[in-house]
Amino acid sequence: MRKLFVLLAMLFALPASAHNVVGGVYAIGSTIEGEAGFSNGDMASAGTKVIVTDAAGNVLLETETDDEGFFTMEATTRIDHIFRMEMGSGHVLEMTLPAEELSESLAGGDTAVAASAAKASTGSAVQYDEAAMQGMIEKAVAKQVKPLRKELRAFQEKAGLQDVLGGIGYIFGLCGIGMWWRQRKQAQAAQAV
Amino acid sequence: MHIVDGALSEPVLAGGALLAIAGVAYGLKKMDYEHLPQVGVLSAAFFIASYIHLPIGFSSVHLILNGLIGLALGWAAFPALLVALILQAVFFGFGGFLVLGVNTVNIALPAVMVYFLCRHGIAASSPKVAAIWGAIGGAGAVAVTTVMVAGSLALSGEAFWLAAKATLIAHIPVMLVEGFVTAAAVLLIRKVKPEFLHLAEDWDNA
Repeated sequence: MRKLFVLLAMLFALPASAHNVVGGVYAIGSTIEGEAGFSNGDMASAGTKVIVTDAAGNVLLETETDDEGFFTMEATTRIDHIFRMEMGSGHVLEMTLPAEELSESLAGGDTAVAASAAKASTGSAVQYDEAAMQGMIEKAVAKQVKPLRKELRAFQEKAGLQDVLGGIGYIFGLCGIGMWWRQRKQAQAAQAV
Repeated sequence: MHIVDGALSEPVLAGGALLAIAGVAYGLKKMDYEHLPQVGVLSAAFFIASYIHLPIGFSSVHLILNGLIGLALGWAAFPALLVALILQAVFFGFGGFLVLGVNTVNIALPAVMVYFLCRHGIAASSPKVAAIWGAIGGAGAVAVTTVMVAGSLALSGEAFWLAAKATLIAHIPVMLVEGFVTAAAVLLIRKVKPEFLHLAEDWDNA
């Protein structure tokens, strides 16, 4: 019974085998949201492991996708986050979230941030409000920008008629070069005789 | 069928690249110039086939056509498929450049195998027998390719049998479609343009 279930699960992972992997990670303040799927529109299967590492490869966190290929995590430090997912059948997705996209209020290796954080801490309640406000603004902007990001990514992944025609053109061009080469050799041979 | 960059270990990548170079070199040597346009046309067919997704039930598949390409080209399948795979990587982002060698071997080697195993079958005088051999070639090439893909993943650490079984099951619809398409193509070509499959020569010899 269990075996059957595994097989069924694999059948549902079927579209995976013939497509490219796509995904994105977005920062909203200190929260990182990410999603992964395949270029034909299917999302990663539920429970796909997401391994989060820093730039040096130290594992920060492991999480899993939900049934819509979606995952979230809380960033604790403002460093580059690298997300690696194994989606089966040789589909590996690696995504990087640069430190700059994370909220400046997080502690991080960045000296400039540390300085600005220090400055903030000298202030009074007004300063605190400013930080909260900044968080709210970041969240609002991220919410607005997210669909645009998605659309842009889909657009980048889409191969159009131009690509198809271009590829065919290249192949025919190569054949042309081959024939030309052959013709030249024949002509040379004829001349030599 | 395209393994993406980053999934395989370096020795596998290097081995695949070496095998691909050997195969392409041999293919270019074996290819006579009379068949150059044919190589180009089939290369183009492969290039597009992976782009067109046919909806089947809840999923979509695309044709691979390596069985048909193998039947028509023999060893010349290697250069034809390498060119198409490079262009797919450039234009569609399928696969990648580091895994180009592995992908070429995984798709082209079964094509060459089909050429040697099924060639006599498709030259049979009975169209029915020829169609059956064509179907075997078309489905068989896909099956061998899936096993080889799983094998390359296994050499890099993924559990072989589980991966192989999963990809094989996932490709059953592709194999069926591929078998039908190849059988139909063989029947059509036998009638319309037997020299495309080098059949006329075989018939003359027989």
